[in-house]
Amino acid sequence: MSIEHLTDDEMDLALIGEELSAGAAEHLSSCLVCRRRRDSFLAAVDGALGEDPDEATRTRVREQALTAWSGTSRKPHWVRWLAAAAAVVVLSLLPLVRSEFVSRPEFNTDAVLTEVDDILSRDPLSAVASEEVVEAIVPAPDVDGEGSWS
Amino acid sequence: MASVARREMPLEPEEELELVESAQRGDRDAAGALLERHELAVFRACRRLLPQGEDVEGAVQETLLRALRSLTRFSGQGSFGGWLIAIAVNLCRDRLRRRRLVPFQPLEVGDDDAADPIAVLSSSEPSPERVAMARQAVERLRREVARLPRRQQEVFALRFFVGLDLAGIAEALAVDVGTVKTHLHRAVQRVRAAVEEANP
Repeated sequence: MSIEHLTDDEMDLALIGEELSAGAAEHLSSCLVCRRRRDSFLAAVDGALGEDPDEATRTRVREQALTAWSGTSRKPHWVRWLAAAAAVVVLSLLPLVRSEFVSRPEFNTDAVLTEVDDILSRDPLSAVASEEVVEAIVPAPDVDGEGSWS
Repeated sequence: MASVARREMPLEPEEELELVESAQRGDRDAAGALLERHELAVFRACRRLLPQGEDVEGAVQETLLRALRSLTRFSGQGSFGGWLIAIAVNLCRDRLRRRRLVPFQPLEVGDDDAADPIAVLSSSEPSPERVAMARQAVERLRREVARLPRRQQEVFALRFFVGLDLAGIAEALAVDVGTVKTHLHRAVQRVRAAVEEANP
């Protein structure tokens, strides 16, 4: 065993867990003073660490996390895909539905018909003209029975 | 090392990966087994990264829930434990930032919550003076850790209170191992000097 004790740097390496030189490692394994120096530090670390949580606490915390996870994020994949597909369909149809509503101005059918009747009643020629036009295109059938369509 | 020895033995990587894959498919039992294996490390990390009096159980529960909800994003390239601790570290940082609290508030001397440091000392039948010095060493350690810069506090806590190795700390903090070593050396240098001063 070397008489030289570990330097501060070597002790730090030993505490951190890094590899020591062969001589330093051999010294540490056999020197009571250096081992006691190392163990005193580790004892202080353990004292500062305190007690670990008991099994009941660990189980409770774990189960709460698992329950929260189970309740929110374990839906089958197809449910999410179905919801996404439905959203896409709705979004793609939305413009069509909107334009349908926009392109159909509201009007009162009865009022329009009344207005047309009113125009026609004020202009009787329009009825005559319409008959003439019809007769010019399609001659009237022979009323005495001699004529024939065939 | 005493604190490292308190770390739970990790699962075999293949076994852990199987559990992760089952949990990613929604298997509650697999998820529970995974959490059970690593929750103690999360408890220790949250307790040491949050100030005294902070709701540690709430932080642990939120960490576990965050991990479960983002399980599908865990690629399996690193260790599940390191990934979980990374979530815990980020959550603690968020809480500290939000509340603007100073972490690692030193406890009052004679805190009953602390384990008796004498129980882990190698010497048998300690004298009253030695008991007092050991308690003082614990107190000095807490105070000195509380004074460390934030990143040094984190690496110190993850190394000595959670029991992660250097690679695990690097993974949890998303930095390289060299950076971890640098911070850890500085932290240990300061804290060890303070402890030795209290307990020569």
